[in-house]
Amino acid sequence: MSIPVALQPATVSAKARPARRLTGFMPIIALAVLVAALTVADPGFLTQRSLTAASRTAAPLIVLAAGATLVVLCGGIDLSIAALASLSTVLLALWLPDLGGLATPVVVLVATVIGAVQGTAHVLLRIPSFIVTLGGLSILSAVALVVSGAGTVRVVDDSAVKWLDLYVGGYVPMSFAVAVVVVALIALVLRVTPLHSWISATGYSESAARLAGTPVDLVKVGAFCVSGACAGLAAVMLVSRQFSGGPTMADNLLLPAVAAIVVGGTAITGGHGSVWRSLAGALVVTLLRVGLPIVGVPSAYEQILYGVIIVVAVALTLDRSRVSIIK
Amino acid sequence: MNASTPALEVRGLVKHYPGVKALDGVDLIVRQNEVLGLAGENGAGKSTLLKALVGLVTPDAGEIYVRGEQVKLRSVVDAADHGIGMVFQEQSLVPNLTAAENIVLGSEGAAVRRGVYRWDTMRRLAQEQLDKIGSDIDPLARTDTLTFADRQMVEIAKVLRIEERSQHPPVIILDEPTSVLESKEIETLFAQIRRLREFASVIFVSHRLDEVLDVCDRVTVLRGGQSAGEVATAGAEPGELHRMMIGSTGSDDHYHENAAAPVTAAEPRLSVRGMSGKTFHGIDLDVAAGEIVAIVGVHGSGREDVCRALFGAEPTTAGEIRMDGKKIDLPGTRAACAAGIGYVPAERKIEGMVGPMSVAENMTLTKQRARCTGPFVAPRKQAGLVDRWIERLSIRTPGRDTAIGRLSGGNQQKVVLARWLVAGDIRLLLLDHPTRGLDIGARSEVYRLMRELAASGVATVLLADSLEEAIGMADRILVMNDGRVAAEIACPSGGKPSPLDLVKEMV
Amino acid sequence: MTVTAGVTAAPRRRTRRGAAFRDAGPPVALVVIFGIFAALSPQFRSVDNVQNIVDAAAVLAVVTCGITFVLMMGSIDLSAAGVMGAAALTVSLLVANNRNDNDFGLLGILVAVLLGCAFGCLSGLALVLLKVPSFMATLGVSAVGLGVATLLFAGVQPNISDTMLKGWAIERFLGFSYLTWIAAACVLVGWLVQRYTRLGRYAFAIGGAEEVLTLSGVRVKPYKIAVFALAGAFYGLGGVMVTSQLGAGLVQAGDGYDFSAITAAVVGGTLLTGGRGGVLHSAVGVLLVMVLTNGLVQVGVSPYWQGGVEGLIVVAAVAAAVIPQRRRNQVVK
Repeated sequence: MSIPVALQPATVSAKARPARRLTGFMPIIALAVLVAALTVADPGFLTQRSLTAASRTAAPLIVLAAGATLVVLCGGIDLSIAALASLSTVLLALWLPDLGGLATPVVVLVATVIGAVQGTAHVLLRIPSFIVTLGGLSILSAVALVVSGAGTVRVVDDSAVKWLDLYVGGYVPMSFAVAVVVVALIALVLRVTPLHSWISATGYSESAARLAGTPVDLVKVGAFCVSGACAGLAAVMLVSRQFSGGPTMADNLLLPAVAAIVVGGTAITGGHGSVWRSLAGALVVTLLRVGLPIVGVPSAYEQILYGVIIVVAVALTLDRSRVSIIK
Repeated sequence: MNASTPALEVRGLVKHYPGVKALDGVDLIVRQNEVLGLAGENGAGKSTLLKALVGLVTPDAGEIYVRGEQVKLRSVVDAADHGIGMVFQEQSLVPNLTAAENIVLGSEGAAVRRGVYRWDTMRRLAQEQLDKIGSDIDPLARTDTLTFADRQMVEIAKVLRIEERSQHPPVIILDEPTSVLESKEIETLFAQIRRLREFASVIFVSHRLDEVLDVCDRVTVLRGGQSAGEVATAGAEPGELHRMMIGSTGSDDHYHENAAAPVTAAEPRLSVRGMSGKTFHGIDLDVAAGEIVAIVGVHGSGREDVCRALFGAEPTTAGEIRMDGKKIDLPGTRAACAAGIGYVPAERKIEGMVGPMSVAENMTLTKQRARCTGPFVAPRKQAGLVDRWIERLSIRTPGRDTAIGRLSGGNQQKVVLARWLVAGDIRLLLLDHPTRGLDIGARSEVYRLMRELAASGVATVLLADSLEEAIGMADRILVMNDGRVAAEIACPSGGKPSPLDLVKEMV
Repeated sequence: MTVTAGVTAAPRRRTRRGAAFRDAGPPVALVVIFGIFAALSPQFRSVDNVQNIVDAAAVLAVVTCGITFVLMMGSIDLSAAGVMGAAALTVSLLVANNRNDNDFGLLGILVAVLLGCAFGCLSGLALVLLKVPSFMATLGVSAVGLGVATLLFAGVQPNISDTMLKGWAIERFLGFSYLTWIAAACVLVGWLVQRYTRLGRYAFAIGGAEEVLTLSGVRVKPYKIAVFALAGAFYGLGGVMVTSQLGAGLVQAGDGYDFSAITAAVVGGTLLTGGRGGVLHSAVGVLLVMVLTNGLVQVGVSPYWQGGVEGLIVVAAVAAAVIPQRRRNQVVK
């Protein structure tokens, strides 16, 4: 063969990098712009009181989004998180009178197991994750309806979950602090163990990961477990705030959670992203939510905004080089 | 245009890919009503040339003339408008449509009026095409219910539609049409090709040189992205063609044969008995420590699946696998890794590496113990380990944190190889086309590495890119044919068999 | 949905026997399940109940008709709920109602259907131009639809007084409500589109081998958008039909229909990976789902379980469809 030796490094995705860099800062920029805009619109916004309220609202969303981020990083999606959280609020409300303080860990454990079941179904039966979790969404909603009798379950004695309603240092809501700790914990575990490279490899290129001996199936099931656990924890936060559980209580958190993940810049195609990004994304989404009424936009626009955000953010962060045909 | 104007002429076609010159000034002439054979080793530029002829690849330089007129081919449709059509190696039919729909797809004409199908017209149009090649396939049969050979007929009928489009005698390209056909089907196909010659020109590509000589009027041989010469087939020998394909291999010891250590181990490291799967049956295979065993075979011989089965990436239905005498079970790739087996996949970019991840991460993806302290990644340990291997394999990279996708192919391949070496527990390496897409310098380095590993006692199974490579590198060669081991040929340094010895067993 | 298949050679020959078995499965299951419930519950086998089942299936049949085309392409559509809500509010505000003086009658219905069409277009454009995977694009469009519906709702429920639209749900012809006949017409139209138009055949082909179409010089993008638009029109009509049933325009008009429709289509034999199934398959699937849910209620299972049953059968049906094609090292996202 007389092919001349050429040793220049291959130019791979040089074009994609500036865009990457931009989307990397996207959530932070969006957050800053939002805060600035809201402060201009309502000088009373940048006060300790409204910030505290906003962060308290954001807490369950942060936790939900952080858990589901792991599934997205693996290249899948978990559409059942909100329904699972709803079911968990019902279970918590039902079990609190009997189990007291134990109810919280038990509910989180049950949610983890449900996540594990979905992950196992996805991995073993080779069903696409979105259809497994869509089915899960439907099943979990049905279970929640049945066990709650389709009504709100009141919590009379909320002493066991009251701690989440406290304030750290008088200003920071405990639920928000817990949410940040959860995100930090997930991020830390990923950082100091091989899990980070396993998850990224699974998300970027599942077949390469498998042929490198990465425990792809375990990683995926694990991601669904964390997603489930986070849904359970989010449910505890919701119950502590609302003093009740309901079969549809968290259902309207699905879209904001998905929006938070994609706004944060985690690619829906998998691999690229982090839980910190989802934290920023969740804050952006929450600010939009509390900010719309401030600038005088009817809250009905909230849904429309979520829809547009999801489509635009996915379009911006998608890694097109890796999927030739998009269905 | 008169009768002597070539139907298709290519002058000085050049196409660069990063790191490799796939086409380096190819010339090609296809006369009217002629069957031209195209032969060449893997990587000689055949597929790039064909793709350029049907508008799938835009050449960097050079001209293409159709019936004496210079043309620019930007898409398959463009090529079809000029009367050039290709029967793709991977069949390009929509499986869930009828044969008729596939035949007229993209140029339905009268069969679809204002978006509404006229099934009668479509059936008639398709029947006309099928009649041209004398096929009796029912045009309204669903394509996925047809046999492979029938589907190929549908494909030829489809390509012939371009005759209507360009209003000229077409040029039909057949890319490896025989690779999955049985001998009777091949006969039918050859009859078709001879019939095509009545009204069209044909470019026929095949690995099997006897076939090329059988069906073609003339053969053009490609080598290293250039035209190495042409042969009139009347009276030509396969050996003559083969010599032209190989040419003179640059250096004398391209494959570092003098570094080959004699195999002394008595017990085989890997011992496979009666392994069967979907595409292979009753495979027996022994590889000793320090030995390189190459498996050769044509496309569809099942050797790729054997290799993957040894890594647990392909299910087996029967058989026994022993490593150093101990029976092992390979339900998945994890088990294979744990048994000290490593695999370098053929599709490096898709299966071998994770492009956006760093060199360090790619290198340490498999063996965690090498970079971890307990369950935690020890950053300094990892950095030291990676740097050591970067130096040891002389991997050219800006740093260990550079994304592997930004390295050249040869360096990427070295990182993939290093993945299996970092822990020092590798016992068997499965190399599936380890030099695919690499330039000659990088190839040579991979060969040197393979020799070093063999000398250190690693057993190697090699699926080589070419027969030359298999012969040059292997101590022993297994020839596979139709899912079975057809022959086992000793291949010691100094007593190498000739490629023709292998070809005899392959077909 | 982005499913990247592993690299393997296609099997050389396939028989039609498996396909015939697949096609026969859902109708046989329908008969068997019907038989079981008929044996278990006298209530179930009454003529009234059978009429009920068929009438209750009407809206789902129309929605499923639409989603079938999207699924045939290998895409997915989660926008039905939002589109139906928006269409329901639109039609209830355009025909005679208690909120305003509009009385456009049929024209109002047409506008609602066109609105659905426009939403479908939006999904298609997001998929084709922005390259957003369809499940994300339609999730977003669904949210937009719900938002539009909420805006139109404006806190006061519009009750319709249009006699024609109300009559659709009440008046009967040959024992079935008008809605049922509309649904039957939709299935017929859907089948004709699937069988005799380029749009329908290409939708089928896109699911079979999109890259081959491109290679043959077919521009698939316009067809993808058109398929989503067609599906949107069906959802719009579905929203109108729900409004007729409820006598009022509700934001939640389409709640649950997106998932039920996917369930029905999948159970009927349409593959989520595309390229198989069709409108008639889906019609059988709709009846299957309705018979199952109605039958369970008749034998005393809480109606709250309906969603759970659907969830289970969709997972089971997809798993059953996937099993024959399972390979090691296959990528499923």
